[in-house]
Amino acid sequence: MFATATIALLVIMCLALVRAFRGPKIFDRILAVNMFGTKTVLLIAVYGFLTGRPEFLDLGIFYALINFVGVIAALKFIERLEFYDEREER
Amino acid sequence: MELLVNISLLFMLSLTVIAVVRLKSLFAIVMLFGIYSLLSAMIFIALDAVDVAFTEAAVGAGISTVLMLATLVTTGRWEKKSSRSSFLPLLIVSITGAALVWGTLDMPEYGNPDNPAHHHVADRYIEQSPEEIGIPNMVTSVLASYRGFDTLGEVIVVFTALIGVLSLLQVRTPPSVAETPLRNENRKLSRPYPVLQVVALVMMPFIILFALYVQFHGDFGPGGGFQAGVIFAVAFILYTLTYGLDDALALTPVSVLKALAAGGVLIYGGTGVVSMLLGGNFLDYNVLSSNPVSGQHIGIIVIELGVGITVASVLICAFYAFMTRALPDQGQKG
Repeated sequence: MFATATIALLVIMCLALVRAFRGPKIFDRILAVNMFGTKTVLLIAVYGFLTGRPEFLDLGIFYALINFVGVIAALKFIERLEFYDEREER
Repeated sequence: MELLVNISLLFMLSLTVIAVVRLKSLFAIVMLFGIYSLLSAMIFIALDAVDVAFTEAAVGAGISTVLMLATLVTTGRWEKKSSRSSFLPLLIVSITGAALVWGTLDMPEYGNPDNPAHHHVADRYIEQSPEEIGIPNMVTSVLASYRGFDTLGEVIVVFTALIGVLSLLQVRTPPSVAETPLRNENRKLSRPYPVLQVVALVMMPFIILFALYVQFHGDFGPGGGFQAGVIFAVAFILYTLTYGLDDALALTPVSVLKALAAGGVLIYGGTGVVSMLLGGNFLDYNVLSSNPVSGQHIGIIVIELGVGITVASVLICAFYAFMTRALPDQGQKG
């Protein structure tokens, strides 16, 4: 069961990675990074149970925290960048 | 299964690097570096290096993303087009890369347990540290006691980095008391993010509690002064992002932060001097108590506290310096 969950998470991480690479809008990328971070937290948890050592779960809390603050910072600073320009993110 | 996880993580890591090289938008590159750090931290977890994973996530995905974003606000977010040909740099990089790959051919077989790297000092640490130091997390024993002198150097490097940042970027002085009523009036008129502010306020005590847990649980599990300092700083970064720089500067004045940054180094170095005065070597904690093992425990707790104080105050102070440049007119905006 944990193996299936791991594979599913890895597939979702790949999909989020594709969205982060392709963009095209800045918000697509922020959302992709946010989702990637969430999946990393889940992968830490699942991987801990998969390898039989779930004592590192508290690292997951920290990843979730970093992810939350990082996204707030990205959105905060984006206000200051003129992001309504017509150029595509490439 | 673990092999599959390792291979897919490394595959995603290399894809991210290729994308970083090809992209022109600096903002997208900073975002991808965040992903890169999360991936490498996950690889460290898969390799059982949880302390390193902790630090990589804290510094790579957390702090440096925030600082890079703050830098982008002042530099603009598009890469300048280079007019020079990229042939010569490509040639040099290819030759260097080929030489490095050639150099790895002489290295001992990957993953062989008899490699010299696993038997230089590691045997002694693994066999002796339970009796000599007696704490379950061997990484902390090595970092804080066997290699205490190196770690003192690292803390001094962090402190020097703050001196460098502050001599290049100045932290804005907070508005004087005379202006305060007007400013509060302004803020009442346009409270920018009430939901975020409430969420940040509710979360801050828990973040600080978690930082203290990581600080003092470092003897037993992954964690320690460096990680705890970063988590502590993240709480104040969250406060600054939601409430604005002026409120944050009123909460933690820069003069206090500077004193704390120096004080942490002083605690660390002072422990070494105290152990010398008690008749031991510099940073030899055995003499701190009548029982050598409990002396080691006292020494490790004290120097980890020094590390945590320095790292937290250096990061908060450096973040304020970057924010002063990135959001200069926030006081007027509200």
